[in-house]
Amino acid sequence: MRDGRFRLAGTLVLLLLLAALVFGWRQAAAVQQERTAAQAIARAAWTSQGDKNPHIAAHYGMYVFKPSGTLAFLDPGADPYLGVTLKLQAHEQELPQDSAAQDATAIDRFGQLSAAAVLQLLVPLLIIALGFAMWSGERERGTLRLLAATGVKPPRLLAGKVLGLTVALALLLLPAVALAAVTLVAGVESGAGLRLAALVPVYTAYFGVVVAVTLVASALAPSSRAALVALVGFWCATALIVPRAASDLAARVVPLPTTAQLTETVHEAIAKGLPGQPREDRIETLSKALLKRHGFEGAETMMDDALLQGIELQAEADFENEVFDHHLGALMARMDRQEQVAQWAAALSPFLAIRSLSMALAGTDFAHHRAFQHQAEAFRRGLVQAMNDDFAKNAGAAGWDYKANRKLWQQAKPFSFQVPGVAWVLAEQRVAAGMLALWLLAATAAAVWAARRMRVT
Amino acid sequence: MAAVLEAIALRKAYGDVVALHGLDLRIEAGEVFCLLGANGAGKTTTIQLFLGFIAPTSGSARILDLDVATHALETKRHIAYIPENVMLYPNLTGLENLEFFTTLAGRKDLGAKALADTLLRAGLSVEAAGRRVGTYSKGMRQKVGIAMAMAKGARALLLDEPTSGLDPKGSNEFSRLLETMSADGVGILMATHDIFRSKEIGTRVGIMKHGVLVACMATRDLSHADLERIYLEHMHD
Repeated sequence: MRDGRFRLAGTLVLLLLLAALVFGWRQAAAVQQERTAAQAIARAAWTSQGDKNPHIAAHYGMYVFKPSGTLAFLDPGADPYLGVTLKLQAHEQELPQDSAAQDATAIDRFGQLSAAAVLQLLVPLLIIALGFAMWSGERERGTLRLLAATGVKPPRLLAGKVLGLTVALALLLLPAVALAAVTLVAGVESGAGLRLAALVPVYTAYFGVVVAVTLVASALAPSSRAALVALVGFWCATALIVPRAASDLAARVVPLPTTAQLTETVHEAIAKGLPGQPREDRIETLSKALLKRHGFEGAETMMDDALLQGIELQAEADFENEVFDHHLGALMARMDRQEQVAQWAAALSPFLAIRSLSMALAGTDFAHHRAFQHQAEAFRRGLVQAMNDDFAKNAGAAGWDYKANRKLWQQAKPFSFQVPGVAWVLAEQRVAAGMLALWLLAATAAAVWAARRMRVT
Repeated sequence: MAAVLEAIALRKAYGDVVALHGLDLRIEAGEVFCLLGANGAGKTTTIQLFLGFIAPTSGSARILDLDVATHALETKRHIAYIPENVMLYPNLTGLENLEFFTTLAGRKDLGAKALADTLLRAGLSVEAAGRRVGTYSKGMRQKVGIAMAMAKGARALLLDEPTSGLDPKGSNEFSRLLETMSADGVGILMATHDIFRSKEIGTRVGIMKHGVLVACMATRDLSHADLERIYLEHMHD
């Protein structure tokens, strides 16, 4: 603590962190405000669309916006790369766009200066700067000989070193944690507090790994200089090289179709039907099922045209949904597997584990985006069905000339994204969490082993 | 009674290079054994073997009848080590350094007063004890080393050229401190180049050459001139 270098480096990192938090918070608040306003406008556009046929209204559709999570200011994660708007309308499920997020290297994240980038990339460098000479420096100064001659147990000395680093880090990070907690007191989203509470041990474990690795290198390296070189090498490899290689590997092992390919495949399947199920046959089957469900089986001749029309429209929608489920389901499964590859790659880099966990807990990862898309799609299907049902029930002799009004539009509840709970996040992130735990165990064991067997002179 | 320090056929080899050839040595409580010899003769190797910093190739180094190799931490409770340069933490005061090392050595019971008294006995004034070690001379740091040994209640003292580079007054003060500890029953093994001091404070003197203890004699039977002559005779061939 009487060392001036620590105060300088520490203060710099603290300032960066606080700046990142404040700017992140202000930006997130502004973004959230914009999205809320946009959502209100979109809702108003829907309810005031005037009198028209309900199926036409379903074509007219509605925009929904992904709310930015309360913790997005800590870790924007993949959000900047993912869309926030979906247009929901009859016959169309919006296709996911190619995303550059996983291709992004860690360096890209410096540009954003998020709190997460400071915590995941800069704090480890600070730990290395503080700790690389903890053993080797004592050996070089000659104090290690006196320490060894006292007869103190090496693990106890190690604990002292860890404590020293921890106190230094805590001095640095506690103001930031306090600030984050204070901003959350005003937080509206339930579960955000729980998520923040989960972020604390996760980051603690990550810093623990870095501290342990630093002390291993310091104990085993022939000199402080060698320890520093080795540790900076470790940082480059785990924070820059492995993440890049992992995303390349994921793309190679589980290739994704381009948006153009996917659009073509889906549109072809909608025009012709899925393999073995021609479009017209399938729609007929679905339409019969609908008739049966509504109790009109075998009574087609006695039904009015509008009712038949409404049921046919819904059968068509059901068919299209089957096609979407088939192709997009396969795509989602592939994306899931890509992310699994990235999580397993955390075996080579604790940075990948913390990046994945941090994004997930902040609610800004792909899984949350997919949850949003999933809920929006379910909402779209419900909306289209409600419109078609109204057509079938109320059109009567008017047929396509039938017009529904504001009352119906208002009956459709506005879309609201239900943020998944922490348990769901942890289940999604079990591989990354497991890897981080393994890193912590292995690095701690290595630090104890290195402290026991290190040279004294 | 067990010897405070005992080497039994103690041998250390680095590959083909033998640093110490089967050393046999017993040092009793209150004895001051001075080990003379040229650089590389095996003096430091001997001390590091007693400290357990290096492992013997064969034979054993024993402290109060405990083998250093198998009782690494236990044997250290009974010894204190003063290298050529007692290196302390420059940002801490002398008293803080003493407190730190004494606590690590397992003596948490000593209060600040007792530690300050120990420093005083080792020849450091209260004023000096409160200053940062960064401002200390070598002699002052060696005194903190002695204070560490006293506070720890060490039964054996291992010294590796502790007085080299000290001025005659500092060297003399240091010798007085060793005499005090010897009188208290501490067994002392000191590697040194200082024939004059060896004769003055040593009860016995050993001469080492190429890893072998070639001579071992009691100082009371020798004059200073005798010792110097014998030493040079051994160094000649």
